[in-house]
Amino acid sequence: VTELSPSHFSAARAAAVALGYLRYLRGGPGRGLGLRQLRSARRQDIDDVGHKYYLELELEDVLDKARTVSCTAEVLYQLGSKTSAPDVQVTVQGELRSTEEADQEFYSRIRSLENELVAENIPDSHGNVPPELEPIHLLAWVASGYVIWQNSSENTKFHLAQVKHVKQVKRNDEDLQFDFVVLLHDMVSQEVLPWQVTLLWHPQRGARVSQ
Amino acid sequence: MRLPVLLAALVAVATCTETFVGHQVLRVIPQSHEELQKVQELQELEHLQLDFWLAPRGLGLPVDIRVPFPSLQAVKAHLEAAGVSYSIMIEDVQALLDEEQREMLRSSRQLPLDTDTFNYEAYHTIDEIYNFMDLLVAENPNLVSKLEIGRSTENRPLYVLKFSTGGTNRPAVWIDTGIHSREWVTQASGVWFAKKIVEDHANNEGVASILESMDIFLEIVTNPDGFAYTQTTNRMWRKTRSKHSGALCVGVDPNRNWDAGFGEAGASSSSCSETYHGPYANSEPEVKSIVDFVKSHGNIKAFVSIHSYSQLLLYPYGYTYTAVPDQQELHEVSAKAVAALSSLYGTQYKYGSIITTIYRASGGTIDWTYNQGIKYSFTFELRDTGRYGFLLPAQQIVPTAEETWLALKVIMEHTRDNLY
Repeated sequence: VTELSPSHFSAARAAAVALGYLRYLRGGPGRGLGLRQLRSARRQDIDDVGHKYYLELELEDVLDKARTVSCTAEVLYQLGSKTSAPDVQVTVQGELRSTEEADQEFYSRIRSLENELVAENIPDSHGNVPPELEPIHLLAWVASGYVIWQNSSENTKFHLAQVKHVKQVKRNDEDLQFDFVVLLHDMVSQEVLPWQVTLLWHPQRGARVSQ
Repeated sequence: MRLPVLLAALVAVATCTETFVGHQVLRVIPQSHEELQKVQELQELEHLQLDFWLAPRGLGLPVDIRVPFPSLQAVKAHLEAAGVSYSIMIEDVQALLDEEQREMLRSSRQLPLDTDTFNYEAYHTIDEIYNFMDLLVAENPNLVSKLEIGRSTENRPLYVLKFSTGGTNRPAVWIDTGIHSREWVTQASGVWFAKKIVEDHANNEGVASILESMDIFLEIVTNPDGFAYTQTTNRMWRKTRSKHSGALCVGVDPNRNWDAGFGEAGASSSSCSETYHGPYANSEPEVKSIVDFVKSHGNIKAFVSIHSYSQLLLYPYGYTYTAVPDQQELHEVSAKAVAALSSLYGTQYKYGSIITTIYRASGGTIDWTYNQGIKYSFTFELRDTGRYGFLLPAQQIVPTAEETWLALKVIMEHTRDNLY
C-alpha cells in the first residue's frame, strides 16, 4: 500500500467517485454533500483484482457549512473492467444535520402541484438557481451522484455541470419521480456529456435511481 | 402580455422577497348578473388573498384575478360550481416575471460611462468588456494602452492591455484569462485585475512598486470567438471556432496547440474532441498571436495563464514526467502564492506540476513559455471545485478575483526580486 499526496490526480479522482456515491446514498432535496478536504489517500494494487484507494475525507453539507463530518472511503476500481462500476464502501463518522422537516415540506409542495414541475438550465449561465428550485438542484446531485459512481474509472473525474432539463412525472404510488437530463463534465477528457436519469424519492424511504 | 405597469410593480416586489411560483391569473367575463355576483363574492373572501388586476365592473367586461397557488383549487371550484367559465391568462406568474426581469436587464444594459460605474459583480458581453478597456485607457492614458496583437478566426480583434510607467522594453509579466471560453470567472477576473492595477498605481500601493521596474500585459478575452459562442449558442463551449479542412468538427483546444510536446500523449487528434490539438502547432491565430508577441518582446519574465475550475496552482510540465530544472523554486513560490490566496477567504488550493496534479496534457501554454526561457510560468485553475463548476455565481467573481490577485502579487514580486 502506497501513500499518495492528496494533490495527486489519482487521489482526487477516487475522491470524486466516493463523493458521487455519498451523494446518492445520503443526499436529498434538503441536503447536498460537498468535499471540504481530502485529508489522506493510499493506494493498493491487488493482483488479479484491481486498484484500491483508501481515503480520508472531510465532508460538508452545502446548506450548513459551519459543520463538517469525517468520512473514510474505500474505492476499488476493478481490473480491466469497462462495464462494472467501482466498488465503494463508506463510513461516515458523526451525524449529518436532520432534514426531516424540509423533506416533508418539499414533498407536500410537489405533491400538491396541479401541473407537473418542469424546469431547465439549473443553474443558469450566470450560476443562478431560483430558491424554490434549489431542492430540485440537490436531487439532481443525488441522481448524478449515482451516474458518476456507476460510470467512473481511474481515467475519469466527473462533476455535475448543469441540470439541462427536469420533468416531474406524477405516480400512483407515494414516490416522487423526476426525469433528469444532466450534463456531466469529465475533467480528464474535458467533455461535457448529457445523461438521462430517472430518480424516485420519498421523504422516509430516500432516493433510488430507476432503471 | 399587455399589462406592463402591473407586471413592473410585481417585478419590483418579486426582486425583494415574494415569489409568485405557481400563481395563476384567471380571466372571467361575467355574462349574467348571477355570474357577476359570484365573482364579486370572491372579493369578500380575504383569506384567499386574491389580487384583482381588473375588478368586476359590469356584464361583458373582463375580470382578471391573480390567484396565489394555495387558493387555486378553491377559486376554480367556486367558479365551476356556479357554472362560471374562466380562462387561464397566465399559467405561472413567476415564469413571466423572470422573463420580464431578464428583458429589463437586457434593455437597460446601457454602457457604463466610466470604470467606476462598471459592474464588476456581473458577467459581461464582449462588447461591454471591450468598451471597458477603452474607458480604462481613456481614463489613464499615461499608464494603460491597448494593443491589438492579432485577429481571431472570425476576425475579432485580440486585445492586450499594457500597463507601463515608462522605460523601454522593461522586463514584463504576462497574464491571460479566457483562453477557454466557458471559464467565465476568468474573463470577469481579468476585468477586475485591470481596474485593480490602475487603482494600486493611483494609490501608490500594491503593484505600484512592481510597475516602477516592470510592465504588465493583460489579455482579458483570449478566445473571443469561443466567448461569443458561449453567450449565443452553447454555454459549455471550450475551444476556438476554427474549421480546418478535412476536420469533421469545429474548434481546436487552444491549450493543446502550443509547440511543446505538440501532438504527443495528452491531447486528441480528433477534431470533435474537447482536447483536439489542431492540425499543427500554432494553427490557431489566438495562440500564434501570443507566440509572436512573446518572441518579439523578448523580455517577458513571468507568464500566467488563467483557467477555471478546480482551485489549483500549476507549473510545468504537462507533456512529460520529467521535472523542470526549476521545480523546487517553482514549488516554493506556489506554496507562498497559495498561502496568500487562502489568507483572504480561506479558499483551499492544491499545487504542483500539471502532470502530477491534474493530468497529462501536451501542447500546453506554460510548457511552451517555460521552454522559451520564461522561468516563472504558472497556470491557475480558479474557483470552485465542482459545486457550480463553470457556472460560478456572479457574486463570487469579486472574491475570486481578490484572492487570486494576492497570489499573482506573490508571483510578480518574486519575479521582480529574482530577475534573470
